[in-house]
Amino acid sequence: MNELNTNITTKAEKEISVIKQIMEDSRKAVVENGWHYIYWGSIVTAAIIVNYLMVIYSISMYAQGMLWFFSMPAAAIVEGIIERKREKREKVKTFAGKLINSLWTGAGVCMFILGFAGTVSGAYSANMIFPLISIVLGSAYLISGVIQQVKWLSAISVFWWGGAVVLLLMPGMHSMLIFAGMLVCFQILPGVFLYVKSKRELATQPA
Amino acid sequence: MTDFNYHEIDDVIHSRIRTAIMAVLISVDEAEFTFIREKINATDGNLSVHLKKLEEHNYISVKKEFIERKPVTRYKITEIGRKAFEDYIKKLESIIKR
Repeated sequence: MNELNTNITTKAEKEISVIKQIMEDSRKAVVENGWHYIYWGSIVTAAIIVNYLMVIYSISMYAQGMLWFFSMPAAAIVEGIIERKREKREKVKTFAGKLINSLWTGAGVCMFILGFAGTVSGAYSANMIFPLISIVLGSAYLISGVIQQVKWLSAISVFWWGGAVVLLLMPGMHSMLIFAGMLVCFQILPGVFLYVKSKRELATQPA
Repeated sequence: MTDFNYHEIDDVIHSRIRTAIMAVLISVDEAEFTFIREKINATDGNLSVHLKKLEEHNYISVKKEFIERKPVTRYKITEIGRKAFEDYIKKLESIIKR
């Protein structure tokens, strides 16, 4: 009887170990290939440069507001269309993927509200928009890195928060350019790294 | 010490391939047939039979659709399936701890 019990226990242990391995492997399905980071990083950087030129050429604040009011929702719609097509082709939908989508949708809405509350309501100066957005981005990066189990992605939050402090302490027109530089370094480049990483992972997977 | 009672084991899950299917589906939100096949290294026919059995017991749900004119079948674990799988794992753990 003792031998039978030992046998059953060994089988149960093996079963649990196989189950754990399958679960871990399935959870590893790529949740983010970096294109969102590249897409939004490039669009917002381009909008900032246009906005900066508008300031230089003394184009009205109203026109500057409209630039953001139309370009950001339009970019979100285009992203939604691309994402819908991509989702349909995906072989697996993970909880991590759902969490990432919700996190960045929430962060995007927060940034949109912060951006427009500043310019329209006059609650705070337009110079404060970029540090506030940097704080939101820092938090989003921290959580994204944890969900995706990519430590360096979480570490980027420190740079966003550090940048926010610099922008808060030294407000001014140059804050636009500093923020654009932050976008290139802490959004577009990480996006490119993630993209390359996901391509490599896909190449090693069976067809 | 209580001896092992095989009646307590859920025989719908207690098959190597069905356990593997449940392990895949509990880890994701939903998965295509081909994804499950890749993860557990099963043949199409074998996998279909076991998926059907899990579906008949309402442990998994099926969604069939056409994407770019190709048929795609997606599977998702149900609440009944999730509970059954959790109970199955607890049972295995209790065997180990005995």
